[in-house]
Formats: sequence, structure tokens, C-alpha cells
Amino acid sequence: MATHRSSRWSQRRLAPWLFLAPGALLFLLYVIIPIGQSVWISFYDWDGLGAATWIGLRNYADLLDDDSFYTSLRNNVWWLVLYLLAIPAGLAIALFLNQTVTGIRLYKSLFFFPFVISQVVVGLIFSWFYAPDFGLLPRILGFLTGTETAILADERYATFGIIAAGLWPQIAYCMILYLTGLNNINPEQVEAARMDNARGFAMLWHIVLPQLRPATFIALVVTVIGALRSFDLVSIMTAGGPYGSTRVLSYFMYEQSLSEYGTAMGYGAAIAVVLFAIMLVFISLFITRMLMQERNA
Amino acid sequence: MADVTLRAITKSFGDVRIIKGIDLEIADGEFCVFVGPSGCGKSTLLRMIAGLEDITSGSLSIGGREMADVEPAGRGVAMVFQSYALYPHMTVRDNISFGLRMTGHKPADIEARLRRAADMLQLTHLLDRKPSQLSGGQRQRVAIGRAIVREPQVFLFDEPLSNLDAALRVQMRTEIGKLHADLRATMIYVTHDQVEAMTMAGKIVVLNAGAVEQAGSPLELYHRPRNLFVAGFIGSPRMNFVAGTAAPAAHGRIEVVLGDGARVLLDGRGATVTAAQPVTLGIRPEHLTAGGGGLRATVRLAEYLGSETMFYAQLADGSGIAVKADGLAKAAAGSTLDIGINPAACHLFDKDGVAVIHGDLTR
Amino acid sequence: MFPRPIQKSPPWLQLSYKALLPVALVIWLLPLIGIAVTSVRPSSDLAAGNYFGWPSRFAGVENYASVFQNSNIGWYILNSFKVTIPTVIGAVGLSCLTGFALAVYKFRLNLAVFFMFVAGNFVPFQILAIPVRELTLRLGLYDTITGLVLFHAAFQTGFCTLFMRNFIKALPFALIESARVEGVSEWKIFRHIVLPLMRPAIAALSVLIFTFVWNDYFWATIMAQSADVRPVTAGMNELKGQWKVAWELITAASIVAALPPVAMFFLMQKHFIAGLTLGATKG
Repeated sequence: MATHRSSRWSQRRLAPWLFLAPGALLFLLYVIIPIGQSVWISFYDWDGLGAATWIGLRNYADLLDDDSFYTSLRNNVWWLVLYLLAIPAGLAIALFLNQTVTGIRLYKSLFFFPFVISQVVVGLIFSWFYAPDFGLLPRILGFLTGTETAILADERYATFGIIAAGLWPQIAYCMILYLTGLNNINPEQVEAARMDNARGFAMLWHIVLPQLRPATFIALVVTVIGALRSFDLVSIMTAGGPYGSTRVLSYFMYEQSLSEYGTAMGYGAAIAVVLFAIMLVFISLFITRMLMQERNA
Repeated sequence: MADVTLRAITKSFGDVRIIKGIDLEIADGEFCVFVGPSGCGKSTLLRMIAGLEDITSGSLSIGGREMADVEPAGRGVAMVFQSYALYPHMTVRDNISFGLRMTGHKPADIEARLRRAADMLQLTHLLDRKPSQLSGGQRQRVAIGRAIVREPQVFLFDEPLSNLDAALRVQMRTEIGKLHADLRATMIYVTHDQVEAMTMAGKIVVLNAGAVEQAGSPLELYHRPRNLFVAGFIGSPRMNFVAGTAAPAAHGRIEVVLGDGARVLLDGRGATVTAAQPVTLGIRPEHLTAGGGGLRATVRLAEYLGSETMFYAQLADGSGIAVKADGLAKAAAGSTLDIGINPAACHLFDKDGVAVIHGDLTR
Repeated sequence: MFPRPIQKSPPWLQLSYKALLPVALVIWLLPLIGIAVTSVRPSSDLAAGNYFGWPSRFAGVENYASVFQNSNIGWYILNSFKVTIPTVIGAVGLSCLTGFALAVYKFRLNLAVFFMFVAGNFVPFQILAIPVRELTLRLGLYDTITGLVLFHAAFQTGFCTLFMRNFIKALPFALIESARVEGVSEWKIFRHIVLPLMRPAIAALSVLIFTFVWNDYFWATIMAQSADVRPVTAGMNELKGQWKVAWELITAASIVAALPPVAMFFLMQKHFIAGLTLGATKG
């Protein structure tokens, strides 16, 4: 039996690789290969200039004895957990705005506004908002409780102050995802459910949310990634302070290896590898789900 | 112009064999229709002829040239897709001439071919419109025009009428028929609609589960179906099938005893059966009459269409039977209906579903 | 539609909804409104403790003028444009090609390559930082616009490929097959059939990548030193240190820095949201 597999049509066999080459090579060079290099560097003692000394797992062993590492890790967990609030909050605002009254389009745009602004500016805005003596929030708190609190200067509150700043644009992002999702809900299903006497929360839970699952998935992905990537706000608002209490892994790594005085490349790389490993758990989950969808498509 | 020959053509996806060894000859200038239920492999087979799907094994020749290893563009075929595949950002003119422009034809030549195709399909006044500004039938004609300008040896149509409404479908059916008469090109046409197949084809190929059940002219398939599948697929309303047993009778005849005890005596036409051989009797609703002897059934549903009346009835052993009766015939649901049966129109199938006797009325 | 359209509610509820909308918006944007007002306050107001009252006079012109006179912010903004625009062109251009390859051709490594782009797009920047900075140094591109552009274009190609591939996959494949039957070469199929149909995707990605790259702070901080390279995000952090409590200047500078992506968003809103919400409706 002669088989005519796709050994013919060389143009069509070669074409995908020609189309892929420029983008894929650049991506390999700047993204994929550096991941491996970072893992490699994490086994060395290296100041970035002189010779590097192989020290095996010492950097990781040192991390386990470093209080700053545990502070960063704990803060990362706080970020992750509290950031997830952006999803229900975004859904709530989306439901609130999913009406057709005059000017609603403008309202939707303005509610989305915080996401467009850079985190640097968001950080500055909230620094001002939290500023002791004249900041808006201490004033309001002072009025309510009688004592003004300097949030970013207080070890107990500083991280939560930064997370709140981060939630502001993140909620806006989730809101826009849900608004689009709501827009594409099958109206006949909602009407059929109304005939079945579903209303309010029952309708939301049984009819609307299942249809919003794609939006929820994307909201989850961007929120988890956003939480673990948190760097800008920490850098702008507190630079890790007070007393290193607002450090997260990404900022801790920056301090060790990239900042003006940071020369501990191996140590920083080890921190980055830990952060990467945490993210890899989530990335694998996301990719598995996307892969399953591809298979079903 | 060219004939198309398929020899032992197969197609597998991994371990799954989609096309199971097809042999077929389509003569030069023939209008050949592939028909079958969805999933039978008819579209895959067409796409293999077009070169859009690899051929796992076997040989395909068009105009005497082996084509299995030739690119789609080199096969001298043009294809009209089910979705029409019109390029939404191009005008009708650009849609029709795109392939010619991309393969280096001379502008004067392109213009001449475009004019001719547009005239033939009455598209001249629409040449500057975009596909979104056309009706379904007009889009269909643009898709055909795009095929015509390439002056192919073979036209391939993949369910081209399935997106049109019923009235337009009938109209386009005649237009494609006329086109075939004008161009005298070989055309291969895929459809799941047996009415479309019957009205358009010179030759029908009935496919089922990746194999050819029967190939022949429409009337040949109607009168002499080779097996139960073809008998059930060709003809509307569908042929009735009643289980029974056959036994030899005097003068070369065959006596069939049906499940409810009724007896039908058939002309054996040279066929032989053993005593008490299990068989299936096939008879088309239009060859039964309301009234007259033969079968007795209980009416379940009557449809009064004016020109005719359809009775859906049940025999004593529970098997269903449809009768196409005169438009004036009447019977209430639940009442008893005597059904007249024409033995000359009865088909007989053995237990493997292969025809033993053809109820061919043309003989 | 869910929730039930407000028009079907009693009039008092409709009225309260319409009244609640602006109130909710003001609360939501309170921090932003605060800095906008501060940016037009005279510094004497801040010194006198008038943080929340009506500005004693409109000092917007002098504050914004002073921001430009007393800092390099004009340069920084120019630098941001110099980084952002080539990045957008590079990443969107490359991903038109990669997206086409991954959407149209079946080959064994297709999904593997696709998920390499997707996964790479999710990694933390810190795992890339040291090797990328080393690479840039070795190429002699450290502290240059080109160095930043190359990295950003490469990294954003990940997201853009995901986007483009899914977009092209959603186009009817018969368009491509039809052209193949007509003998059109693969490159011409890309150039004349697919590329023209990708316009909405190109627009959506362009505004999105513009915003992402404009707002980047991490790479701007670690890959740029000098004032003629430093983008405005990194510049803002420097100004914050320099001006300390001159909040009327910091806030004015913040608004200036935020303006280009904001303008982009309002001009290209439809595309922007289409890009962000890709996949939020199906799949």
C-alpha cells in the first residue's frame, strides 16, 4: 500500500517555521532561555562582575534562615488571598452597571479608568490618599475613630494599604471582563429561568454564573498573576519599608540583585526561582485547562 | 475536461479508518452526486479529490494523470464551499479574480474571463459590492463564478445549497443544472439531501460509513437498490420494510409470509430461496393502495395533503407501514385499513440486507 | 438580561438608581479626583493646611508649567514614546506571523510552541531580570532605547501570539482552503486574505500593548540609567524623591504621565476592551 503522507507540498511544511522563526527566536532569547539561566545562576555565589563560585544549594539554604524571606513569602500569600477579592467585587460592580440608562457607557468607562493608569501613578495617588496629617483616608479614619493612622508608616497596616491600592485597578479589570461576559449571556436562558421562577441570587448562581465561567477563568488568571507580580506599588509606596515589613518576593529579589546596592546575583536568582516555582503551580493549572479546551475544540 | 478515477482510496486519522477503499469511475462531463447520511465520509472524499485532505492509500487520477501527490492548485479542480468562503474584505470582482491575479494571469485575460462568468451568472451589476451586501443566492453565484473563471477540468461542490431557503434551493438547483449543460464539465457534487441527488445527478454514489453502497443512475437506484441501506435512503417517503419468511412456491414463484400471517406471492425472477428463510419485504408507500386485499392494518395517523393522503398504520405484529393513497381517501385514526399490495413492486432482501428480488416496475 | 432591567422597576427605584450612579462613581474615583484637585492648588494652600477645601485660587497653569520647567519630565515622556511605539510595531508585527503559523498549519509541535508563548507570558519578571540585563550589556545595548525595545517586543510577543492565534483560528478556515485550491501561495494567502481580516485584532493589540509598555516600571528601572533613556514611569519615582512634599507638583506630574494611555483608552475604547476581554465570552 503506497502511503501519501504530507511528505509532499514542501511549501506547506516549511511555511509554519518560516512564519514562526523571527518571533519564536526572539522569545526564546529573551524569555525562555533566561529562565534556565536564572536557575543556573541560583547555584552560584556571584556579584555580577567577578568570577562566579559554584555553591550548590547554599543560596536556598540561606533563604531558609533569612527572616526577610519569610516576611516576603507571608506578604505574597496576603497579596494572593486578598487580591482574589477583586473577582467578586468586580462582578458586583458589573452587575450594578449592567443596565441601559442614559450615559451608562460613560459610567462604565469611568469605572474602568483606574486600570488604564500606570501602577506608578496609582501608587502615588494612594500615597497621597494615605499621607499622614493631610491624606484623605487618615482624615476620614480620624473623624470616625478619633485617631489618625499613618497607614504606610505602620508595620501592621502598610502591606494592606498597598494591597488596597492594587485592588483598585484590579477590580476595574475584573469588572470589564464580567461586563463583557454579561453582555453575551443567552437572554433566552435567563427568560426561561424567569418562567421557572428563578430570581435574584438563585438566578445569579444557577443561570448567570455558569454562563460567566469563561470570564471568571480569565479574571482568576489575571488576578493571580497580578498578585504574584506585585512590584511597582511596593517600590513606589514604601520601597519595602517600614523595616522591610512590606517586602514581597519580587521586591526582595530586586533589593538583593538589581537595586543600586544589590550585588547578590546568585541569592537574588534563588529568590526569583522560588517565586517562579510558586507561579509555575498556577501556570500549570491554567495551561492544563486551556489545553483541555484545545482538545475539545 | 477530464474523467476522474478512484482506485482503492482510503483515508485514516490515526487508527480510525474514515474512507474504506473506494473504487469509482466518473466519466468526462458527468454530473456525479455523492450522497449519504452525515458522517458517511462524502465531504472527506470530495476534499481528498480537491487535495485538501491527504490520501492515505490508493490512487486518484484526473484526466489520466495521477494526482495523489499533486497540490490542490495543480489538479485542475475548482471548489465551491458550503460556506461559500467568500473573502469578506474584497468586492465581488476581486473575489472572482483573486486566484487568477495571484497566479500571474494577464489582466486582459482576467477581465475577459470575469466578464464571461459575470454574464453567465447575472452578476455584472453586482461586481463592485462586498459579500456582506449580497443575498444568499447572490453569494452562492459569486462562489460559483469564482470556480468558473479558473476554467477547471472538474468542478467540486460541497453541499453548496444547504445554507439557502427552500425556494432558493430549488431555483439554484436548476441554475447549476443549466451551468452543467452549458459548460459540459465534469462536476462532483456532495449533498445529504436525496431529493437534490435525484433531481441533479447523472450518476449517484450512495456512501455509508466510508464505503460505497451503490453507484448508478437515479432511476436505477430507485428501482433496483442493491441493499436495504440504499432502498431506505433513496426515495421519499421512505420504503416500508416488513419482516417475514420466504419459501419456494410453484412455477418458480416465492411465497412470503409476513409477521402478521399475511401472504404475498412474488414472481421469483430466477431467484431461489430455502424453506422458511428469514427475509425482509420492501415496498414503497406509493406502490400500496388504500382498499383492496392483501394487508390489514390499524391507522395511527392520517395526513391529508390534498393531492394525496398519507396513512401511517400498524400491522398486527406491531410493524409500521406507510401508505401513499389517493387524495380523496379517508380513514380515522384507530380504524382498520385494508391495504392493496402490488407484488411486482415488492423488493426482497435476505437476512444480510442484500437484495434477492428487485421490485423493478420498469421491466 | 441580568439583572432585571431597571426600567421594569417602580419609579422610585429607577430614580434612586440614577441618583446612586454618580455618587458611586465619585466614591470610586475619589483618590483620582483628590489628586486632580491638588494638582491645581497653589502651594500656599498646602502650607496653610487647606488640603480639602476649594483651592484658594486656580494654580493649574503655574503648577504644570513648573513641572515641565523644573524636571526632565518632557524628556521622560519623549523616551516613553520612543520605547513604546517601536515595541508596539515589533510585537504586533511578529505576532501576526507567529499567530498565523500556529492557527493555520497542523504540525507536530504546534501546541507545544503555542503553549511556550502562553506560559512565557505568565512568568515573573524577576526570573528574567539578571540574564536579560547581562544579555543587554553584552550586546552593548544597556541603558539604550533599543535595549528596552528589544526586550519588550520579545516579551509582549507572547501575549500577542496568544491573541492573534485565537483570532485567526476563529476565521472561517474555508477562506484559506479556497485560496489554496486556487493555487495562491502561502505567503500571499497571509498577505492578501488573512492580514486584511486581522485589522480589528491589530488595532486592539496595539492600544493594549501601548498601555502595557507605557506603564512598565520594573524594566524601566533596571535597564535605563540616564535621563535621555529613562521612561516616564521610572522618572516619576525619581521626581517623587526629589519633590518630597511638594504634592501639587507630584500630582500634576502624575497626571501628565498618565495622560497618553488615558487618551489612547478614550480614543480607542472599543478596541481596548475588545483586546482585554478576548476569551471572556467563549471557551
